[in-house]
Amino acid sequence: MKIQARVFVISIALLALLFVPRLFSMDYYMHMFVMSEIYAVLALSLALIVGFSGQVSMGHAAFYGIGAYVSALLSVNYGLSFWVTIWIAGFVASLVSFMIGALVLRLRGHFLAITTAFFGILVGLVFNNWIDVTNGPMGVAGIPRPAPLNFPGFTVAIQTRAHYYYLGLAFAVLVAFLVHRLVNSRIGNALIAIRENEELARSIGINAMAYKVLAFSIGGGLAGMAGSFYAHYILFISPVTFTVAESINMLVMIIFGGMSTLFGPILGAVFLTVLPEFLRMAGSLRLVIYGVALVIFIIWMPLGVWGSLKSFWLGKRQASLSEVGEHQEHS
Amino acid sequence: MITVFMQQALNGVVLGCIYALTALGLSLVFGILEVANFAHGELYMLGAFMALFATKLVGAPFFIALFISMSIMAIFGALTERAVFRPIVGKPMINSMLLSFGLSTALANLALFFFKADPRKIDSGLADIRFRFLGLYVTAERLSVLVLSIVLVAVLAWFIQYTKTGKAMRAISQDRVAAQLAGINVRRIYSVTFAISGALAAAAGTMVGAIFFVSPEMGFAVVLKSFVVIILGGFGSIRGVILAAIIIGLAESLGGGYLSYAYKDAYPFLLLVLLFMLRPQGLIGGRRS
Repeated sequence: MKIQARVFVISIALLALLFVPRLFSMDYYMHMFVMSEIYAVLALSLALIVGFSGQVSMGHAAFYGIGAYVSALLSVNYGLSFWVTIWIAGFVASLVSFMIGALVLRLRGHFLAITTAFFGILVGLVFNNWIDVTNGPMGVAGIPRPAPLNFPGFTVAIQTRAHYYYLGLAFAVLVAFLVHRLVNSRIGNALIAIRENEELARSIGINAMAYKVLAFSIGGGLAGMAGSFYAHYILFISPVTFTVAESINMLVMIIFGGMSTLFGPILGAVFLTVLPEFLRMAGSLRLVIYGVALVIFIIWMPLGVWGSLKSFWLGKRQASLSEVGEHQEHS
Repeated sequence: MITVFMQQALNGVVLGCIYALTALGLSLVFGILEVANFAHGELYMLGAFMALFATKLVGAPFFIALFISMSIMAIFGALTERAVFRPIVGKPMINSMLLSFGLSTALANLALFFFKADPRKIDSGLADIRFRFLGLYVTAERLSVLVLSIVLVAVLAWFIQYTKTGKAMRAISQDRVAAQLAGINVRRIYSVTFAISGALAAAAGTMVGAIFFVSPEMGFAVVLKSFVVIILGGFGSIRGVILAAIIIGLAESLGGGYLSYAYKDAYPFLLLVLLFMLRPQGLIGGRRS
C-alpha cells in the first residue's frame, strides 16, 4: 500500500510537471526550469558519491566540464550528432572519473575533498590553456542543436525551450530512476555500509575500494552526460562554467535538500537554481547574502530541508541525532 | 644560468614561508576543532587590508602595521569562532566545509563591495634596500619575510610546547573528552586557537601584500594550497608542514619559471598525486586521517 501510494504521488507530480510549459510561457522561466533539470541530474549524480557512499568530492564540475567539452568538440569538429556524443561524453567522463577515483579514493574526509578540488582546478587549467583543442578562455561556440527526433509518423525538431524542457525532464527522470534502483540494490547497500562504517563493511567482505570507485565512475559519467546536454542547450561553453565554485554549488544543492535522500538533491537543485535569480535585485551584495544564508542554514538545518522535514514528520529526534553521529565517525 | 636558478629558488623559499604561516594556522584549527576552515584565506585577505589601511590611512610604519593587523585579525578570528564555528563543532565534516565556504564567499564579496577590486600594494619602505649575496639580489622586504616567518614559527612552537595553554591545545587535539575531564576549558582553547590562526594568517597576508599586492580575491587559492601543505606535511607536525610549504613554494616558483607558468597552480596537485603513489602515509610519517 505504501509503495502504491508513493507511485501514485510520483505519477501525479510527473503529470503536473508535463504541464509546466503551458503555465510558464516566458523564455526566462523556461530557461530556469531547463537549468534546474540539468542541476537535478548533477545533484543526483553527486548525491550518489557524497550522500550514499559518503565520499566528499569537490571536483564534480570537472566531469560536467569534460562531458560538455567532449560532446561540443566532437559535434563541432566532426559533425557527430548529439544523440551519439552524449554517450561518448558520458563514457569519457566516466573513464576519467574511474582513473581519478582509483587514484584518490583511498583518501578520506578532508583529504579527499581537497585532492578532488585540485583535480577540478587542474581540469580548469587544461580547458584554459590547451588552446589548440579547447580554444582556451574564448570557449567553444557554434555547437549544433540536437538533431530532430524521428518518431514513426511525425518528427520533433528540438528548437524551443519547451522542447529542451521535455527532453531534460525525460533525462532527469531516467537518471532519478537509475539512481533509485542503484541505491536500493545490493550495490546501494554496500555503498551505504561503506558510508556508515568502512572498516566494518570491509570486515564482512565488501570490497570498499571497488564500490567507491564504481559509485565515483557512475556519478562522473552521469555528470558528463549532463554536461553534454548543457553544451547542446546553451550552444556555447567556456571554462568559467566548470570551476571549483560550481562544484561547491552542487555540494550546497545536495546538502540543502538533504543528501541521503533522492528527493532532497532534486529539491536543492531546483531551489538553488531559481532562488539566486531573485537575489539579483540585491546587485553586488548578492553573493554576500548567499554566503550568510548558507552559514545560517547549516547552523540551523544540518540535515537539509528535506532531511529536517522528514525527521520532523517522523518525530524521531534521536534518529536524526544518531545520523549525525554516524556521519562523524568516518569523517 | 645558475644565478637565475638560485634567484627562482630563493623566491620559492620566500613563497614557502608564507604558505607555512597560513598552513600552520589552518592545521591548528583542523587539529583542535576538527573543522576545515575554508574561510582561512579570507582572514589572510582581511589581514592584508588591515595592514594596508594602517600604512595608508594612519601612516603607521610597516612593522607596526603588521602588529596592528595581527591583533585585529586575532580578535576577528576569535569572534568568528564564537559566532559561526562553535555551533557546528562535532557535526559532519561536509557541514563545516560548506559553512566555511559560505563564510568565505560572504567575506570575500563584502571586501569586494567595500574595498573594490583594484590591486594595491602595501608600502613597506623596504623594497628599495637591496643586498647582494653570492651574486643574488635580495630585497630587504623578502629578507624580512624570511626572518619574520622564522621568528613567528619559533614563537608558535615555543608556545605550543611550553606554555600551559599550548599544552592544553595539544591535549585537546589528542583527546577532546579526556582533556575536558582533566578540567581544561575547551571553549577558551577554541577561541585561542582561532585567534592564533587569525594572527598568523594576517601576518602572511601582510607580507604578501608588501611583496605582491592586496586584492579581495587573494584568499581562495592560498587556502587550497595550505591544505595541500598540510596533507603533504603529515597533519599535526610543525616540521612536516614547514618542509612541505617550502617544497610547494619551490615547485611553484621553479615549475613556473622553467616548465610552464600557465600551469603553476597545477603543480601542488601533481605533487600530491606523486605522494599518494609513493608515500601514502605523508612526507614525514605523521598520523593518518
